[in-house]
Amino acid sequence: MELIATLKLVQVGDEIEVLSSDKGSANDIPEWVKKVHHEMVGITKEDGYWSIVVRKTK
Amino acid sequence: MANDPLYILLCSGEHEKIQMAAMMASVGAVSERPVEVFVSMNAVLAFTKGSAPEERYRGGTFSDLLKAKNAPDAMTLFRQGKELGDLKMWACSMALDVQGWELDRLEDDLFDGTLGLTKFLSDAENGQFITL
Repeated sequence: MELIATLKLVQVGDEIEVLSSDKGSANDIPEWVKKVHHEMVGITKEDGYWSIVVRKTK
Repeated sequence: MANDPLYILLCSGEHEKIQMAAMMASVGAVSERPVEVFVSMNAVLAFTKGSAPEERYRGGTFSDLLKAKNAPDAMTLFRQGKELGDLKMWACSMALDVQGWELDRLEDDLFDGTLGLTKFLSDAENGQFITL
């Protein structure tokens, strides 16, 4: 939800990085991004957390 | 159609079902899908204004886990769904009547009003219907 709220505040083209220790977020965020037509920049598993980067497209 | 409205009939007072309703409602709403939630029966009690989490939520194993893991509170999820998407919530007029309650006994900033089941079912004919 924090990602979604933040995306409403930033400019089109801006990238947001989410750091999450929750595997569910790593699965669900790309699905949500696809559904609402933003863009996945990348998802990386780090030591104990995931880095998920999303670009605002609209 | 991908953006068909989602209608959730929430009757249970079980924490797990309230949490699932909140998750579905908030995720649906922020995924550009209109969502309406109708709260009735024991579920109404969980929305009592000012309740502490330990008295608001009663459930089983997953209720304990949700509390232990500090999962997002269901009331917070409903509020976020309203703030970030198209989520409407209705309190069952019959349930409030039986309790002798007015809408102001329930959590602030969640409910759009009271509604009868007949109207909710009529509206729900145009979307996907889920009962919890």
